Amino acid sequence: MEQGGGAGGTSGLYDVLELVLDRGLVIDAFVRVSLVGIEILKIDVRVVVASVDTYLRFAEACNRLDLEAGPHRSAGLPDIVGQMTESGAHGKTKGALSGAAQTVQDAVRQVRGKDTESSRTTASRRKKEEDQ
Amino acid sequence: MTTYVYGIARLGRTPLPEDLTGIGDPPLPVRLVTHDDLAAVVSDCPERLRPKRRDLLAHQNVVTEVGRRAPVLPMRFGSLSDSDDRVRDVLDEHADRYREALVKLNGRVEYNVKAVHREDAVLHLVLAENAGLRSLAAANQADGGGSYEQRLRFGELVAQGVREREGRDAELVRETLAPLAERERTGPENSGCFLNVSYLIEEAAARRLLDEVRRLEKAHPQLDLTVHGPLPPYSFVE
Repeated sequence: MEQGGGAGGTSGLYDVLELVLDRGLVIDAFVRVSLVGIEILKIDVRVVVASVDTYLRFAEACNRLDLEAGPHRSAGLPDIVGQMTESGAHGKTKGALSGAAQTVQDAVRQVRGKDTESSRTTASRRKKEEDQ
Repeated sequence: MTTYVYGIARLGRTPLPEDLTGIGDPPLPVRLVTHDDLAAVVSDCPERLRPKRRDLLAHQNVVTEVGRRAPVLPMRFGSLSDSDDRVRDVLDEHADRYREALVKLNGRVEYNVKAVHREDAVLHLVLAENAGLRSLAAANQADGGGSYEQRLRFGELVAQGVREREGRDAELVRETLAPLAERERTGPENSGCFLNVSYLIEEAAARRLLDEVRRLEKAHPQLDLTVHGPLPPYSFVE
């Protein structure tokens, strides 16, 4: 969980901008400054989800997934690696297990690499929006 | 001279933080326009005010600083009046309504929760729940990923599954957190997350909200929740 305080810091500003812009008290007797130029912030990112790019990205990501692993295992891959290495250290089958752990680690690295790439895209998109 | 209004508060004898500055470059000094026990937190307004990042941050900072000292009704960004006198007239005209709202918000803060999915975990879930998708995935894997058309079609079906899961997980999060809050307000839906929801909550109860969010993430590894707070109650002043 990421947690940001409301006070000051710029890190969470992007996430509370919408509240400052779209919420808050509006009094009829006051004029509101024109928000032309800020509209770019409101691009509906949901539209992007239903795009060819996303379909291909999902297909690619699924292609890399280990279909035999359960959904809960997938999220806990690093734990499994830990357990394997640990039990491997005690057992006779150390070699085989380390090999398996290595494979899992490679898979994690692949998936992570993918994640890094996509989050970088998001970050640069956000940056562009903020620069407007 | 145009007056920029940040919020309405009941500060009593509590002074504004010393040297508090607001919008503008250089930042303009913040002052109070008072009427009886009510005070509008204002500054002059620079010519050609535009919603720049720096000014949005300044608005947020002023409301937050005042909110630390007394309940405050945060204004939406960019509220302007002709003059301090006009602001005073508005306070006079709606004094009872503002007092009532401030009493209701006393000791309450806003927490905003945004939910996105961890992609690998949610894809696993979607495939685990759908045998048809699993065999398509296996076939594509065996076929070196499949043709462009196959990948596109498969990805679209997966995206559909992800959206369904988003709906269910949004409900799960809301059902879990709503009982901890006094009020709930969803949206605005423009931030790239599948759930964006604000809660009005007693300051003392905030710890429970954070604990519950952590518990949710632990029990549902596909959930990636971001919490922002305590915030001035932007979503609960209308």
